[in-house]
Amino acid sequence: MSSGPGSVLRPDLEPVFRAEYRRVVAAARRVVGSTAEAEDVAQEVFLSFAHTDVLADQARGWLLVAAVHTALNQLRGDRRRDARELRASPAHDETAVPDVAETAGRALEHAQLRAALGRLPRQQATVLVLRHSGLSYAEIAAHTDLSPGSVGTTLRRAEAALRQEMSDAPH
Amino acid sequence: MHPTDGALRRALDEPASLPDTDRDHVATCAHCQHVLSEATADRDCAQSLLTVDDVHLSLDAPWQRLSDSIAAQPGAAAPAAAHRPRHRKFHRATVLTAAGAVLVIGGATAAAANDWLPVFHTESVAPVTVSASMSNFTDLASIADLSDLSAYGHWQELSQPQLRSVPSADAAQRRTGLTVTPLTDLPTGVTGEPTYHVVDQQTAVFEFSAAKARKAVASAGGTLPALPPALDGAVLRLQAGPAVVRVWQQSSGVPTLVTAEIGAPVAQSSGVSLDVLRDALLSLPGLPPALAAQLRAVTSDGTALPIPIPADQFTSSATTVGGASATLIESKDGTLTGVIWVSDGVVRIVGGPLSEAEVVSVANELG
Repeated sequence: MSSGPGSVLRPDLEPVFRAEYRRVVAAARRVVGSTAEAEDVAQEVFLSFAHTDVLADQARGWLLVAAVHTALNQLRGDRRRDARELRASPAHDETAVPDVAETAGRALEHAQLRAALGRLPRQQATVLVLRHSGLSYAEIAAHTDLSPGSVGTTLRRAEAALRQEMSDAPH
Repeated sequence: MHPTDGALRRALDEPASLPDTDRDHVATCAHCQHVLSEATADRDCAQSLLTVDDVHLSLDAPWQRLSDSIAAQPGAAAPAAAHRPRHRKFHRATVLTAAGAVLVIGGATAAAANDWLPVFHTESVAPVTVSASMSNFTDLASIADLSDLSAYGHWQELSQPQLRSVPSADAAQRRTGLTVTPLTDLPTGVTGEPTYHVVDQQTAVFEFSAAKARKAVASAGGTLPALPPALDGAVLRLQAGPAVVRVWQQSSGVPTLVTAEIGAPVAQSSGVSLDVLRDALLSLPGLPPALAAQLRAVTSDGTALPIPIPADQFTSSATTVGGASATLIESKDGTLTGVIWVSDGVVRIVGGPLSEAEVVSVANELG
C-alpha cells in the first residue's frame, strides 16, 4: 500500500518500516514489557516518522530514540501499571501475544525492571535502553544532546543504578 | 592518569575508543582493573535484564495498521471510530463514554477498496429504545455490539481495541489525528487537568455465511428463510475510530466530566445494498432484540447512527448542540446526563454527574 490519500508522506516509509519495525518493537519492549504494547508504541513512532524528513541513514537512530522516549512516557504516565504487572500472569494479560517465556517470575522481574527504569533519570534510562538495543555510542550521541564520551559516563551510571535498584527490589 | 569511568565503560564495547597509552595504563593499573570489573558486572546485569525474547512479528498486519492510521488522519480520505475497550475496568462515567464509542461502532462499517459499496456514513445519531435490562454501564456497551452477528457468519476484528492513557492533549492529537479542543468554561465542581485516553482506529469484518446462519437458526428450532443469493459470502467491513477520551475527576478519583470524540464511522459492503443486508438480517429468527431494534432504525440513506437506549434506566430527548441535532441521555435516577451529536465528521459525547444545561454548555464549546 502506498501512503494515505491526501497525506504528505515520505516515499521511503514502507521500506524503512519493513527494515526497522521489529527493531523498534524490541526497543520499546525493553521498556514496556509486552509485545502488544510495544507494537502500539511502534505504530505511534512510525506515524510520526511518516511526516518527517529525517535522512534515511539516520532513520534507525531516530526511530529507536523516539520509541524509547515514547515507551518511557507511557511507563511514567501510567502509574497503575506496576501494580497490574506485579499481579499479572500470562493468563491475565489478554492483550499480550502468547509468550512461553512470560512466566510469573519473569513478569515480576519485568515489573521491577520497569519500576527501576521509571526511577532512573530520563537521560540515563534513554541511553541505557538505546545502548542495549544495539545503537553505537556515536549513534546515541548523534540523536541525543550527549557527546560520545558522555554517553559512556551516562551509561556507566545507568547500569550501576539499575543493578543497585534491582538488588534492592523485593524478591 | 586513570581514564574516566565513562571511557572505561565504552572500552568494554568499543575497545578501539581507548587510546593506546590509556590501554597500556589500564592493563597494569589495579584501580582501573577494579573499575572495569565493576563496569562489566553492571553491564552484564543490565544486558540480562534488557534482553528480550525473540518473538516472530508479522510485518504485513502492522504495516496495514499504520497505513490505515495514516489514511484516517486529517486530510486523508478514510474516516474512523472507536471500539469497546474490552476487559478493562474503568470508572462508571468513563465507561459511559467508552460505551458511546461502542454504540458508534454498532452501526458502522467501512473499507477502502474500490469495489466496495458504501452503505453507511454517520451524519447524525438516532436514539433507539430497547428493553435490555442492565446491571451496569458495561452492559450498555455490550447491547450494541455487532459481534452478536457472529452466529450468522464470520466476525473478525482486524485490530484489538485498547484504551490507552497518553500524557497530554498534544499526544492524544498526535496519535489520533483528532483535534482536541481545550475547554475553558468548565461546570462548577469540575477542576484541574483531565487525563487523556485514546483508542486507535478499529476495523472489523463480518462475512455472512448462509451455512452458519442455517445452523444457528436450526439450533433455535427455526428454519432459515429464503435469502438473496448475493448475501451468502457478502462481506461487511466496519471501521471506527480513532477516539480521544478526556476524564476530569476529583482527587478521590470520582469522574466529574467525561468527553469523547470519535471519528464518525462509515460502512461498506462487498456489493450488497444496505436495504438487502438489513432486511435479510432482520428476517433471521433469534436475532438479539437490541440488535434488531438498531437495525430497524437504520434508514435507507444510511446516515443516522442508531444508538440503543435501555428504557429501564435511561431516557432520551432531542436537543441541539451548535445548531446540530443532538440526543440528550439521562439516567432515570438523575445521577448522570450525557449528550451525543455529530459534527465535522466526528461523533462527540459529553457526560457526567451534571445537569442538562451543564453538559450542553460543554458540548457547545466543543462544537
